[in-house]
Amino acid sequence: MSKETINISRRGFVEKTATTFAGISIVPGVFLHQVANAKPADQPATADNRWGMLIDTNKCASGCTACVSACNEENGIKTSDHPNHDNQTTTQQWIRKVKLRDKQTGHVVSLPMMCQHCEHPPCVDVCPTGASMKRADGIVMVDRHICIGCRYCMMACPYKARSFAHETVEDPKEYAPRGKGTVESCTLCVHRVDEGGTPACVEACNEAEHGAMIFGDLKDPNSAISQELKKHGGKQIRADLGLNTGVRYQGI
Amino acid sequence: MLQLKQLMHKSLLAMLGSAALAASSVAVADSALLDIAKAKSDQCVEDTAEMRTNHMEKILHQRDKTMREGIRTKQYSLKECINCHVEENSQARAGDKDHFCSSCHSYAAVTIDCFQCHADRPAPASRNSVKTSSLQESTDTSETGVSQ
Repeated sequence: MSKETINISRRGFVEKTATTFAGISIVPGVFLHQVANAKPADQPATADNRWGMLIDTNKCASGCTACVSACNEENGIKTSDHPNHDNQTTTQQWIRKVKLRDKQTGHVVSLPMMCQHCEHPPCVDVCPTGASMKRADGIVMVDRHICIGCRYCMMACPYKARSFAHETVEDPKEYAPRGKGTVESCTLCVHRVDEGGTPACVEACNEAEHGAMIFGDLKDPNSAISQELKKHGGKQIRADLGLNTGVRYQGI
Repeated sequence: MLQLKQLMHKSLLAMLGSAALAASSVAVADSALLDIAKAKSDQCVEDTAEMRTNHMEKILHQRDKTMREGIRTKQYSLKECINCHVEENSQARAGDKDHFCSSCHSYAAVTIDCFQCHADRPAPASRNSVKTSSLQESTDTSETGVSQ
């Protein structure tokens, strides 16, 4: 009798599992559909989306800098071509690797740190010209056409995410203009996002088979990032500041 | 008296010389204008007269639309100006007389700072293809990432 009960429940388990897998297999289809239907070029970015990123620090390998190199390559950031200005503290970095060590347990966490694309960005608050701005879809950027290079935003940013371009930029990428005398930071690869793509760092992390970074729309409940956040949650760094960051971390 | 005559003669010669120099510099300027780099297409996005007068307004308007709102239409974008008016493997850099933008701006003594940040040549075709393929890859990886 008891054996039969077990068998029935096993069958039920198998059925349920099958249904669950079927349910999951729809998700990639939905996601692909979204990618195929990128924002039309003549339409503005709207508040219907909020782009964000979720970083699993348990998957982020200590010593791996794939995201950093990918960012530098994508945005034409050269850190070594200024022999007269080789100061590590003043070279541009849109994304950097940070190592955190718990003094008590000795547990080491490695994570990429970049512009957190805050909902209430302090850099935008302090900008005297309006160059520091947040797009409707939550991407925080610098309009370098009107940036005067005062660097107030660099002081205001709690994440030390912005850099100043001290040197003339040789051969900028046609989709990522950069120039001397202005402040710059992670744009979440806005040129890719507008075409329905993924930021270069996320792509590089996947290519390096770490898969520690998920990019997606925080306002779409079906997006991979929202599903993961719903399931396992994610923390903001300096959540006490109430900035509601678009970049969230797991495992810290 | 003789000395005065000689002086007048000399100054007349000098005047004639400078006039000739001025004439030759005009000729150089004209030829510089005629040497404007050719576009890849016969027709620009607007008539030549309209573009000559108002191209800066159109680029400025598009600049704010793209930067602030993410509207990336090609018609008035600076990137498309460059894609059409500068050859892919052109050696001419912004500031050189044979660069499309500079050929006219240097004649008109207008200093532009677009190319302190923006690319002054079209992207090499190889770069475009790399970008597209990497986008494709990202789609694939995200698909497997979700189904796992």
